[in-house]
Amino acid sequence: MTRRERRALDTEAYREWNGGYRSYDLVKEASIALGLILALCVVLTILFSSPDEKPSTVQSWARSDPVDFVTTATTELDGSSGTAGYGPPYNHASGGQHVWFIHLQKWLGVSHPVDTAKDFVLAPLRSIAGQPALQAAVTAYESASAKQQTAWTGAYEKNLTKATAGANGSISVPDGGYGPLPTMMSGLLRFAQGGGLDGVLLTSPQFYQTDYTKPLLFMADGSVLSDRAHAEHLLGRQWGIMNETGSYPGQVWLWLYTFWYQIKPFSTSANADILVMGLMGVLSLALVLIPFIPGIRDVPRWIPLYRLIWRDHYRSVYG
Amino acid sequence: MAAVFNLNHHAQYVHWHFFQMSVSNILVIVAMVVVFFAAIFIPFPSHGVNADSS
Amino acid sequence: MSVAEDRSWTGRLRRRAVGALPPEKLLPDKQPSYVSSWIYVFGVLSLSCLAVIIGSGTILALKGPGWWHFTGVGHFFNSIHLWSVELFFFFMVVHLWGKYWMAAWRGGRARVWITGAVTFLVAIPCALTGYVSQQNFDAQWISTQAKDAMNSAGIGAFFNLLNFGQMYSYHVLLLPSAVVAIVVAHILLVRKHGVVPPFELQATAAKAPEPTATAESVEQETPA
Repeated sequence: MTRRERRALDTEAYREWNGGYRSYDLVKEASIALGLILALCVVLTILFSSPDEKPSTVQSWARSDPVDFVTTATTELDGSSGTAGYGPPYNHASGGQHVWFIHLQKWLGVSHPVDTAKDFVLAPLRSIAGQPALQAAVTAYESASAKQQTAWTGAYEKNLTKATAGANGSISVPDGGYGPLPTMMSGLLRFAQGGGLDGVLLTSPQFYQTDYTKPLLFMADGSVLSDRAHAEHLLGRQWGIMNETGSYPGQVWLWLYTFWYQIKPFSTSANADILVMGLMGVLSLALVLIPFIPGIRDVPRWIPLYRLIWRDHYRSVYG
Repeated sequence: MAAVFNLNHHAQYVHWHFFQMSVSNILVIVAMVVVFFAAIFIPFPSHGVNADSS
Repeated sequence: MSVAEDRSWTGRLRRRAVGALPPEKLLPDKQPSYVSSWIYVFGVLSLSCLAVIIGSGTILALKGPGWWHFTGVGHFFNSIHLWSVELFFFFMVVHLWGKYWMAAWRGGRARVWITGAVTFLVAIPCALTGYVSQQNFDAQWISTQAKDAMNSAGIGAFFNLLNFGQMYSYHVLLLPSAVVAIVVAHILLVRKHGVVPPFELQATAAKAPEPTATAESVEQETPA
């Protein structure tokens, strides 16, 4: 008999049960289960509640860490920020991640265009009315050559590492040749600290807003979110994907997903995300197709845990 | 509505080489394994078995 | 049966449905004698968790996404929703372990395993869209991090984790509908095929009577 014939016989042997039955109340069991689960959820709620840490805003960021805010804004202006160099779906600055010749990130294109200089700095500054000096500074920047703009932003960024925050929320940067940048950045900082930048970043061609792409990308380019995440053990290298804020249990079912990020080659690869997504995609497919995978489908037969599960049945049938 | 136990404080973590996991998550995983084996080992109340229903 | 009934789509669909799942199979009142282990309760426990998730989620949806941040009652239902999700994954994975060690795909039950595994896999993005819809710091962090995984695979081009409106729609309607649809298929397949019989013990197979295949479909029950 071939293995295939044996498997076919096996399939037929297990298709129907022709042995004994006993009476059983399905609806009663489901009702008891539902009652138990509801009670358990209520008990867990009363004991532990749920976490709800207030979100950061561009305003809170600009107030608590004005140096980081201005540094990030400058990198958005000169195109050196994370978002500016991200690639699709935000811009064409890079090709994004890939595996071999498969460039899914690039192939799916720029569907959510973000021009960091315009969207995060220049347009918000242009929206501020009643400040002619500020508008003149923006005009001076926009009409300068690309080389001049790079010289200004490069010098400013270099000295921002030595900047200090004042008691009134402003920052002071050592003197240098920054052109209109100090005026622009102090204007943007005041605007952000007043709450105006949160609103402007959310603005789109329509009145009703639900898309937080721009404010979130801007904050993620700085340290405001990552500092909080580090404190809560939510960073990638801290196995953060499966963690929750506070001491709450997190997403335990993501343990294998986060595991790959901790080991080479994933931990040092620029394409870590697509590599892990691809690997987990293959493993997920394998999970779904276990009945068809030789070896994996035979382990339950080789390691007979089933003898414990069905011990009552075996005792009654085989003695 | 305040909870009986306030979990809004930093979690304890277990570190071992590159492995780190919160105590809460470890407890959940241990509970899953315990519940799994308990379900297998704890005797199930047996009822009368009827004859074949064919 | 009239000629019209014989040819109609309705008649054919009804006969096919009732043939596959007659009432005694859909809602049986007996189960095979070998269903005698606590491992069998984890399916119905997972289903109960799903019911509580949907119930608590419905209440949260009725009051809108901001409600739970500002009222004790709202926070209470948010907590019920969170814990029922934790329990759902807890019991579903134990159910999966049990079914694996029983090789529950035997006897033509591969689709039962497949629908169960797909339920688990679809529940994960369903939970993810929930986490990014919380409108708190957790949502901000998870969305700005997970977007890299989505973008790397090109999924970010049409599934923007930073777009609250889109994520809320996926979480409240699209993905729960998908989970429920797959779970319904899973349960109907379990009803149709019955709970997988135990492995035959090879060493004592000679002593035990050979199970005889009959053409008659047998009423089978499974709690798992």
